[in-house]
Amino acid sequence: MRYWLLINQSLKAIFVNKVRSLLTVLGIVIGIASIISLVSLGEGVKVSISDRILALGASNLTVVPGAVAGARTLDPTKAPSQTRGFTLSTSSLTEKDVQSLADRKRHPHIKYISGEITGSTIVKTDRGDKRFPVLGVSPDYFAINNLTIERGRSLDQSHVDEGANVLVLGNQLAADLYGNRDPIGATLNIEGTEYEVIGVFKPAEESGLANPNIQAYIPYTSAMETFNSLNFNFIYIQATDESVVPSLKQDIRKTLLKNHQIQNSSLADFTVISSGDILSAVDSITDILTSMLTGIAAISLLVGGIGIMNIMLVSVSERTREIGLRKAVGARTVDILNQFLIEAVLLTLTGGILGIALGFMIARASESYLGFTPIVTFNTILLAVGASTMVGLVFGVYPAVKASRLNPIDALRYE
Amino acid sequence: MEHIIEMKGISKVYKTGDEDTVALQDVDLTVTRGEFLAIMGPSGSGKSTLMHIIGLLDRPTAGQYLLEGRDVSRLNDSSLARLRNQKIGFVFQQFNLLPRTTVLGNVLLPTIYGRLKNSRSRAFEVIEEVGLSDRVNHTSNQLSGGQMQRVAIARALIMNPDIILADEPTGNLDSKRSLEIIDLFKKINSRGATVIIITHEEHIARNANRTIRLLDGKIVANAERIA
Repeated sequence: MRYWLLINQSLKAIFVNKVRSLLTVLGIVIGIASIISLVSLGEGVKVSISDRILALGASNLTVVPGAVAGARTLDPTKAPSQTRGFTLSTSSLTEKDVQSLADRKRHPHIKYISGEITGSTIVKTDRGDKRFPVLGVSPDYFAINNLTIERGRSLDQSHVDEGANVLVLGNQLAADLYGNRDPIGATLNIEGTEYEVIGVFKPAEESGLANPNIQAYIPYTSAMETFNSLNFNFIYIQATDESVVPSLKQDIRKTLLKNHQIQNSSLADFTVISSGDILSAVDSITDILTSMLTGIAAISLLVGGIGIMNIMLVSVSERTREIGLRKAVGARTVDILNQFLIEAVLLTLTGGILGIALGFMIARASESYLGFTPIVTFNTILLAVGASTMVGLVFGVYPAVKASRLNPIDALRYE
Repeated sequence: MEHIIEMKGISKVYKTGDEDTVALQDVDLTVTRGEFLAIMGPSGSGKSTLMHIIGLLDRPTAGQYLLEGRDVSRLNDSSLARLRNQKIGFVFQQFNLLPRTTVLGNVLLPTIYGRLKNSRSRAFEVIEEVGLSDRVNHTSNQLSGGQMQRVAIARALIMNPDIILADEPTGNLDSKRSLEIIDLFKKINSRGATVIIITHEEHIARNANRTIRLLDGKIVANAERIA
């Protein structure tokens, strides 16, 4: 049997009944278009979040206090948080932990390390009271988070050693608090202690889940006084290289377990998270969302498939005599079966291609509303083509079997 | 002379509900290669059933059918389809052309299901033979009845079949067109094909070498035309 002749005939049949074919495949078009646009939105979200997390650096590690079952799904914003400007004193991360990790002989793969005491305060500004986060950190913190000075100077080790009441502002915060005025040399009252502003950072990329531009930074030793906290909310670490992250993670665990005198590692009162851990947590969330939405879109494919089955049944009964004739001139049962399957698949595939085009346009059009770029991957298109072919096969089988089983004599007599 | 068709004791019984309808009863029929045979009989006499059995579209309930010496009663559906494609060309009263398809497309239809070298040039050849060379790219609904039947004949001829089976081929045509079609069958027959025509018109049957008459599923007359 020469299939190209059949395919050619089927294509003609589809194009002769243009309006009917288009209406028939509309369900498929809508189904495929929604799958394409939803999956590409999902991919886009994933990449844009990944970019933010990787902006932190793939070689960064975070230690958070508390044992968290299933640390892979942990996100640092859910770590024990602070209220009214002072931290809960439940944190298990001590200054000793930071100092023992900072020992370069024991941990040669640690490039930068900084603890963070997370607090916040309220100040009076021209536009009313404003609350902003105040972080007690070491100078390494700025290297880890790619913060560079725009005006004035940054915190240095002597500020930390002295517990100096000095403060560096994030770029946006400086503008919010002081407008066009120069903040250098100004004093700010943080929870009852006067701090001198010594510098302003350049605008930094919003990375991870916090915005570094709206925060203020003070030496962690001063933060311990001001926020009445001896422990850190987080310890941030940057490895010398991405490849040492997994082994470094183990080293950090060992050191901290020893510091905290915990023998059984499953009882650890802290958790070490790498950027990769956060990334895979976010990935698994967006994957679940994407597949859920795709599942919903697949329902319209199902409805479209029923439409295909319906029109193919109509086509079979319209063409009963043709089927009889084809059998008379030598078509076997399987040839008739294949012919109607090919027609059904060509219909759904046409719908699939139109759907891909429509989905692509929807994804493109939504780009300007979303603030991130939906990504149409080759795999998505492959998925759409595969899905539309499958729909054609599944819903084409019944009409095709019905056609192929027609008795040629009855079919030829059919009026 | 070679017997292209040899039927012995062919019967066909249809079961309709509790009753059995006998369409053919113990029919013996032998057709010689190159013959022009007419089958006549009133409606319900079993001539169409006989035609379907000869054309391998239907199986007899009992009896033996040798086509070119080969017993075809026991062949499976695929083998029968292949034989229909290669050995037999059908022409129907209703023409049965594919709608919205060109003359060429219709004539090429059997070549989808069987091997044929140079099918396109062969198609042009048979289209010329039936006198429609100037209408190759017309679609079937742009043709008159006589032209449509010519297309059907060209389609029957394209695979070079040994047997042409025509079921009331002039039943839907006026007498002038009927004569043209019969002349065409005579031409085809003169080139060696065996032609079997079912008709209930005496003047059509008169063109055949031999006429058999059916009544109630039995052959009641078998007459050679004395020329």
